[in-house]
Amino acid sequence: MANSVNISIEAPIENQIQEITYDGQEIYQAPLSMSENLARLAQKIDFSKSDDEFCNIKKEGESSSDVKSEEDKEPGYQSSLWPWDSVRNKLRNALTEVSVLADVLSIAKEKRYMVLDPIQPDPIESRPMVQVYGRKKALSAAGAVLLNGVERLRASETMRMTRNMPDFHIDLLRLRQNWRLKKVSNTIVGDLSYRTAGSKFSQTGVFEVTKAPEEQIAAAMSMNAAGPTPSALRVTVPPELQGVAFISVVCQKEQEEVVTATLSSSALNCPGTLPGEGAELHWQQKLEAAQNVLFCKELFARMAAEAVQLDASIPHMVVGNQIMATVLPGIQLLIGLCHNNGQNNNNPEAVKPEERGNKNEHDHVLEHSLHQLLRAVHHANTHHPFPHPATGPLGPSKRRSLAGPMAADRYELLDMSKEQSLLEQIIQQAQHFFMRRRSEYVLDTIAKEVKDPLIVSHWNALNSPTQSCVKINIMAYGYDAVCRTSLVVHVGEKTLKCICRDGKVRHLSYELQELRDLIYCQIYQHQMTAVQAVGRCMGWQLLASSSHLGSGPVEPLGNASSCLLASPNGDRMIAIRCEPSVGIQVFIAQSPRKDFFVSELVQDKKWENLGGAFKEVKLEKMEGKNFLNKMELLMACLSSPS
Amino acid sequence: MHHNMYVSFNRLQQYPVPENKTGTYVIDLLTKRILALGATQQGQFLVDCESYLSLPQLGTTKTVHILHNSEQPASVFSILESGTKNIHVIADGLFDLLMMKLSQHYTSKKQTKIESKGPRFELGDFCVKIGSVTMNQNFKGILIEVEYRPCVMANAVWGLLREFLQGLLGPSIPVQPPQHLLSRMNEIYTPIDTIYQYLEHFSAYRKVTGLRSA
Repeated sequence: MANSVNISIEAPIENQIQEITYDGQEIYQAPLSMSENLARLAQKIDFSKSDDEFCNIKKEGESSSDVKSEEDKEPGYQSSLWPWDSVRNKLRNALTEVSVLADVLSIAKEKRYMVLDPIQPDPIESRPMVQVYGRKKALSAAGAVLLNGVERLRASETMRMTRNMPDFHIDLLRLRQNWRLKKVSNTIVGDLSYRTAGSKFSQTGVFEVTKAPEEQIAAAMSMNAAGPTPSALRVTVPPELQGVAFISVVCQKEQEEVVTATLSSSALNCPGTLPGEGAELHWQQKLEAAQNVLFCKELFARMAAEAVQLDASIPHMVVGNQIMATVLPGIQLLIGLCHNNGQNNNNPEAVKPEERGNKNEHDHVLEHSLHQLLRAVHHANTHHPFPHPATGPLGPSKRRSLAGPMAADRYELLDMSKEQSLLEQIIQQAQHFFMRRRSEYVLDTIAKEVKDPLIVSHWNALNSPTQSCVKINIMAYGYDAVCRTSLVVHVGEKTLKCICRDGKVRHLSYELQELRDLIYCQIYQHQMTAVQAVGRCMGWQLLASSSHLGSGPVEPLGNASSCLLASPNGDRMIAIRCEPSVGIQVFIAQSPRKDFFVSELVQDKKWENLGGAFKEVKLEKMEGKNFLNKMELLMACLSSPS
Repeated sequence: MHHNMYVSFNRLQQYPVPENKTGTYVIDLLTKRILALGATQQGQFLVDCESYLSLPQLGTTKTVHILHNSEQPASVFSILESGTKNIHVIADGLFDLLMMKLSQHYTSKKQTKIESKGPRFELGDFCVKIGSVTMNQNFKGILIEVEYRPCVMANAVWGLLREFLQGLLGPSIPVQPPQHLLSRMNEIYTPIDTIYQYLEHFSAYRKVTGLRSA
């Protein structure tokens, strides 16, 4: 055939698929070994075909008798099913034929008994018209198939257009833009899991895409003609991913719920409720809901595993769909997985919506944190720190990959291997949340209780989930330029760090009475320094001051402090004593003392200049807005010549 | 960063080696002494060294020493002897595989593979390692490593270490600062300095011929 076209056919390189599991995984057949492959191919060889061609050359009698005698010799091999049996027989036949051919050739060479003459080949008759007709017929048959298909497509399209039905393929295109799809034989399956985003959760998120039946679309369109057109797609998600799921975080203080944070997708603003059975969700919402279910399940499964593994001083408990962890003494963190898959009655796991319905305290920070923590884990799984060594392993942190060249010792390496689990992080965040709230409460109550001086606290707007910072200013109204005491409190997870004005750093525990005491001490210290500053402004002289007086009764917190001021011309003195438990006492004395009388012991008149006994000033009776104002008035009054 | 000092302990030579006094005996003796001081044993340690020679086709023959120290388990230390100067590279564990790839150019002298191995003691801020040195399973001697962890400068701690070592080993052992550290007594001590000291002693042990009874 002069016009034949060569078509080369190759076997695909990949192995044959043995089985496709439900999650879309394809199980391949193991490739044949070399010997297996050879045996398989050898069995396929059709030796009989070549037999025919040699039929006219060989002498039948000889070969058949030959084979017969051979077969009789080794019946043992024949009976057994040896894989190479047929090959051996055929090879043996071939050998016989070749030896016969050799005999014939040697006879022909002698030219005595046999002569070989060349034969004229028949001229090949080419008939071009036949070929043209043949091709025409083949092409018209192919064209008819195509035309038939187009006709059917056009018919269905016009039918769809006339009935204003949505287009399946346009919808499929939209679906394809947002979701991973692949065609497996005749069905379209998609994957809504977070695998490509770095999740290592074992549960799969395979869904199936089908064409919605036209009757349903028509019914849906007739029901709400004004609304958006229903989709021609229908997605089927596995039953374990159906419905709505959310993670609820509850902080419990002695059986009393303090905070409830709920994790749910923002699209599902009403967790725990599902539209009625009949209403069909749009595929986008349906897939998002299923994805959220999968995410919540992963989050919970991960935290539950961590809760069991961690050995905390008070062990975490995992009961059913709830994890219990102790945050601070007396405060428990409950993390629950609520999955409402539409069958509320027969699903004991589902938390009744009305139980949580009246709790409006949604902590969006904790909700967000849980999202972020797992997404950070996903991100870390797929984003390895640069540079990637061409030969090195992927995965270890940057610190760990530098550990070798930096000659890190075993302690540093041990330190690197420690990783904070999600549960630990969320517990820390909850701890910090409580520390911050308690500190806020303490500062606010002190600010309410103490009007003089003023206590102003500035919370930094920028903070991390586990650390925040507050600056506290103590000052008196009208005297903030004269003296102000500021201190900074770093609120951590279980401790507070206070940096005072004098540079001293104090670490406080989660017991906030300590913070309260510290602030009170600071207030009285402030009053003492402030009155000295006012004195300086008024021209008074500081004679003595002590912030830790040893005299007087023992104070429950801090020490009493005092200072002694003298008027510019030295004839008046003011003594101030400040005890945190009592308050501030002010005494005045003057010289020459008014009540000096010459006695037998002290006879000289000059001793009257020593100054008399101190008399207490009744501060509450004095004019003035606050303590410093009163002190200023007092100093002004005492400075004026009497 | 820790500070390590080494003293080569070669008392076996002076021992009139009776049947029962072997390297094991000396290690036991030292172990008893250090435990009597109140130390606690914290696992084992191992420092090994393998040397590679470059093939003559590459020009002058160079030697590369590859050392591992169990104190820095993630690191491979390599020291290239090139004439007067030694060049060191600290790399991670993959360096061993690289050396295998370079076997066309560098051949390993397997029979000179040498290691120091033994118990590791902690005594307050001191860490003492008593290692028996073996080359090809042949006992060569005993190396004692003393580490004083709070200090990073040799000069500041040398007196303290010498006193400690003399207390441990007895006054008859001369304790000299290691050759490698003489020029850098005032510099910050790094793990490679430990490796240099080990290499110094290992090279000395390799030169000594003859076997000792372990």
